[in-house]
Amino acid sequence: MKFKDLPPVKEQLMKCVRCGKCRSVCPVFAEIKNETAAPRGHVFIVQALRDGKVAPNDKVWEKLNMCLLCEACSINCPSGIDVHELNAAARSYIYENNPSIGRELIFDVLWTNQFLLKTTARVMWGFQKSGLQALARNLGLTKMLPGDLSQAEKIMSNIPYASARSTLREVNPAKGDKKYTVGYFLGCGTDLFFPNVAKAAVDVLTHNGCEVIIPADTKCCGLPHIANGKMDTARQLAVHNIKIFDSYDLDFIVTDCASCSATLSPKNMEFLLSGLKIEDQAMAFAHKVIDLNKLLVDILNIDLQGEEPARKVKVTYHDPCHLANAQGIKEQPRELLRRVPGVEYIEMRDSNRCCGGSGTYSVTHYGISMKILDKKIDRAMETGAEKIATCCPSCMMQLRYGINRHNWDCQVVHPVELVNQVYKDNIALYTGN
Amino acid sequence: MGTATIKKELIKILGEKKVLTDDLDLMYYSYDSSFLTRLEPSNPDAVVIPASTEDVQKTVRFAYENNINIIPRGAGTGETGGCIAVNGGIVLDLSAWDEIVEIDAENMQVIVRPGVIHANLNEQLAKFNLFFPPDPGSSKMCTIGGMVANNASGLRAVKYWSTEPYVLGLEVVMPNGDIIITGGMKARTIKNVSGLNLTKLMVGSEGTLGIITQIRLRCFPVPKARGIAMAVFDNLDDAPATVLDVYQNGVLPSGIEILDSSAIKAVNEFKPEINLPEAEAILLFEVDGNPPSVEYEGEIIRNVAVKRARSFEWSTDKKRMAELWEGRSITATAAARVRPDGSRIFAGEDISVPLSKVADTLRAIRNLGEKYGIRVVNYGHIGDGNVHTAPVINPENPDEVEKVLQLVHEIHLLAIEVGGTTTGEHGVGAVRRCYAEAEHGKAVEYMRKIKEACDPKGIMNPGKVF
Ligand SMILES: Cc1cc2nc3c(=O)[nH]c(=O)nc-3n(C[C@H](O)[C@H](O)[C@H](O)COP(=O)(O)OP(=O)(O)OC[C@H]3O[C@@H](n4cnc5c(N)ncnc54)[C@H](O)[C@@H]3O)c2cc1C
Ligand code: SF4
Ligand code: SF4
Repeated sequence: MKFKDLPPVKEQLMKCVRCGKCRSVCPVFAEIKNETAAPRGHVFIVQALRDGKVAPNDKVWEKLNMCLLCEACSINCPSGIDVHELNAAARSYIYENNPSIGRELIFDVLWTNQFLLKTTARVMWGFQKSGLQALARNLGLTKMLPGDLSQAEKIMSNIPYASARSTLREVNPAKGDKKYTVGYFLGCGTDLFFPNVAKAAVDVLTHNGCEVIIPADTKCCGLPHIANGKMDTARQLAVHNIKIFDSYDLDFIVTDCASCSATLSPKNMEFLLSGLKIEDQAMAFAHKVIDLNKLLVDILNIDLQGEEPARKVKVTYHDPCHLANAQGIKEQPRELLRRVPGVEYIEMRDSNRCCGGSGTYSVTHYGISMKILDKKIDRAMETGAEKIATCCPSCMMQLRYGINRHNWDCQVVHPVELVNQVYKDNIALYTGN
Repeated sequence: MGTATIKKELIKILGEKKVLTDDLDLMYYSYDSSFLTRLEPSNPDAVVIPASTEDVQKTVRFAYENNINIIPRGAGTGETGGCIAVNGGIVLDLSAWDEIVEIDAENMQVIVRPGVIHANLNEQLAKFNLFFPPDPGSSKMCTIGGMVANNASGLRAVKYWSTEPYVLGLEVVMPNGDIIITGGMKARTIKNVSGLNLTKLMVGSEGTLGIITQIRLRCFPVPKARGIAMAVFDNLDDAPATVLDVYQNGVLPSGIEILDSSAIKAVNEFKPEINLPEAEAILLFEVDGNPPSVEYEGEIIRNVAVKRARSFEWSTDKKRMAELWEGRSITATAAARVRPDGSRIFAGEDISVPLSKVADTLRAIRNLGEKYGIRVVNYGHIGDGNVHTAPVINPENPDEVEKVLQLVHEIHLLAIEVGGTTTGEHGVGAVRRCYAEAEHGKAVEYMRKIKEACDPKGIMNPGKVF
C-alpha cells in the first residue's frame, strides 16, 4: 500500500489542530524542549512528507527517529490521532526511498533469523565473559549493531548462556485438569535475555491448567522492523507467525512481552495488514493474542494462597508503554503483584512514563535515553522498592542498566517470576526440601 | 542582511547549541494552534533558544542593529498566529527557559522565567498551599510568558479574572536591547501605584512591545472546598437569565459554563454513555471556598436555578462532581471527533459578548452555521460572556475552507455588532488584526503611538495586533 493511502496518513493527518497537548506528555520532548522533538512536530512533518514539501531523506528520518514510539501522545490526543503510527508509516516511506538508510544487516538478516540472532547473542556473551571486547570490534561485530558497542554491551549485559528455546519443550502438558490450550509466543528479548521469565511463564501456566505449546519456528514479532521503517519485513514476519500459530488449535496466544502483544494486537495488525489478502486471518489470530498478566488475572483468575512470610518485599511496578499506552493494560500486572503473598506493593509516581529503553533506542540515542531513564530510576527509588516489576524485556534491560548506573541495590523482575516463586516455595514446603 | 549571514552571525553571538538554522528545523516553527497557520505555515529565518536575559539581549541588539524582525514564542498554543514569523525574522523560543526562580510563600508571590508551564507552576505552588488562579484549557502546555503576553484566562475567570491582576512586575527586554524592570522586581508589595503602569501595558501586548524575560506573580491560597451544580434548560434564554439572577443573589461562582444544543448533541454522539439530557442549554456552576460557604452558595444557586430549570443537581462529592463536569470537559474533544472525515478548527473561536446578548448570539451562530452548511459546536464561559465556537470542517477541502472563513468573519462582525469583542481570551495576533479599527476606533492610533515609542524600528513581532 502506498504511503498516502495508509489509513492513519489518509484519515488522521488532517485532524491535527496543533493544540500541543501532546507536548505535555512526550518524554523525549521533555528532554529536548524544542518543537523539532514535539509529537505535534512529527505530525506536521509527516504531513509535509505526504504533500511533497520535504523530501523523504535522512534528515527527516533523523527527526522522526527521535521518537520512542511510546504512544503517550496518541492516547492523549483529543483528535484521536495515532501519532506513533504516522511516524512509523513515514519511516517506512523514507526507507523505501532510501534503502541505504537504517541498518540492513541487523534488522533484515539478524532479527529475522533466530539462529543468527542467537549466535550473535552467544558471541557477545562470550566476549562479555572473556572481556575480549576489542576483538569483537576488530571482527567487525560493532558494525552489525547500531551505535556504540560498548554502550550496547552494557545495556544488554548479563546475556544468559542458554536461551529459553533451547531449554523449553515444544509441548508442555497442563498439570491437573486441562482448561485451555495456549500457544506461547516466545519473543526474542525474553528468549535470549530473560529465559527465566519464559520458564516461569510456562510453569505458572501449566500449573494453572494450561497446555502450553511453543511452536518451534516462530520469528520476531516485527516491532524492531516497524520502528526502523521496514514495514515490508514486518509484514512478512507477521504472515509467517500467523501461519505457524494457525496450524495449532489454540484458545489463546499468550506472550509475556508487552511489545510482542502490542505488535500482534488487532490494532497493529490492522495497521500492518489491512487491505491485504491475509487480513481476516490476521485479525482472527490477533484476537487470540493476550498479555500474560491479563490471562492470569482476567481469564484464569489465579489463586495465590501462600504463607505470608515474616518480612515483606517491597515491589514497585513500571508500566511498559506497549502495555499501558498501547493496550490499556494497567490493572492486571498490579493485581497479580498484590496477590503474591509477601509482596508489599508500592506505586511509583509517573509509573506509566517511558523508561527510554524502547528496543534499540537506548543504544542509538544514548544521551536522551539516559536522561529519561534517570528520571524513571529517581521515581522508582523514591518508593524504597527492593524489586521493580515490569513486563517487557526492553524495559527490563533498561531498568537493570539504570539500577547499576545509580548503584542501587534493587532487582528487576517480571511479575510472573514472583508468582512462580510462590508455587516453587509451596512445592518446596510440600516435599520437605 | 541575507538569511545565511543572519544564521552565521547568530551562531557567532550565541553559540551553535542555542540557534536553529537548518531549513528543516525552521519548518517546525511555522505553526501554532491557529487555523491560519494550518493553511499557511510560515518559516522564520532562524530560531534562537535563549537560556538567560543576556542571550535575549544579545539577540535583540543584533536584530535591532540589522533591522531584523524578532518574534517571541512560548509553547505555540496561541490560536492567532501570534508567535509566527509572518514576515520572516528570528523566532525566540522561550519555552525551554522554564525555571521557577523563587517561591516567596511568605509574601504569596512567585518569580518565574517565561517558559514555565502553567500546570507545572501550580504543581510546585501546591506544596505551599498556593495557586496561580487563571486556568486556561491549555494549562498543561502553555507557558506563563505566553499567558502574560496574551493576558490569558480560563474557566474560573468569573471569580479569579484573567492573568493581568496577578502580574506584579516584569523584566522586559525592549526592542533596542534595553532591559527594564516594571512594577519593581525587588519591591515585594501587592500594591504599587508608583509611576505609569508599564506592567499592565506589557500584559496582553502579544510580544509587540518587548520580550518578557522574568515575571513576578501574585498567588492565592488554595480553596478548601468545591461544589458543582448542573442545571438543564428547555429554553435558551433562561440560561443567561439564571446566571444574572445568581449574581443578583450575591453569589459569585468560580466558573459558569454553558453547553448549547449543538454541544450537547456533539457530546452525546461522541460518548453516548455520558448521556447528557437533550435540552436547549446546560449550565454548570462551580463554587469554591470554605466548606460552609460552598454549601450555602450551592443552596442559593439551587433556589435560583429551579425557577427556570427543567432539572437541577448539586454535589460536593468528588466522584459525582467529576461526572457532572464530564460533559464540559469532553466538549472540546467531542467537537474534534464528531465528524470522522473532519476536524474542528481554531478560528472565530473566542468572541465575548454582553451577558444579555449571549442567547441571541448563540442562536445567531447556529443560524450562520446553517447558512454556510457548516457544523458548529458552541460552548463557553457564559459567566463572562465568552463564547467558544468550534466549526467542524474538512480542512483539506478548499470549498469548505472558503466557506468557513466567511462564517468566521461573520461571527467576528456579530460580536462587534452586539457590543462585544472578537476575542475574550485568546488574543488578536495575525488573525483578528483586521478588526482593530472596528473595535477600537481612534484608540488604535494611540496604540500605534505607544508601539512606535517602544519599537521605533517596528521589528518586534510585526504584523500582529494593530
Ligand atoms: C486546546 C487549547 C485551549 C486553550 N484554552 C485557552 C483558555 O482557556 N484561555 C486562554 O486564555 N487561552 C487558551 N488557549 C490559547 C493559548 O493557550 C493561550 O493564549 C496561551 O497563553 C498561549 O501561551 P503560549 O506559551 O503557547 O504562547 P504562544 O502561542 O507561543 O505565544 C502567544 C503570544 O505571546 C507572545 N509571547 C509568548 N511568550 C512571550 C514572552 N516571553 N514575551 C513576550 N511575548 C511573548 C507571542 O509572541 C504570541 O504573540 C488555548 C489554546 C489551546 C490550543
Ligand atoms: S495532541 Fe493531537 S491534535 Fe493536538 S497537536 Fe498533538 S497530535 Fe495534534
Ligand atoms: S510516541 Fe512517545 S516519544 Fe514518540 S512523539 Fe509520541 S510521546 Fe513522544
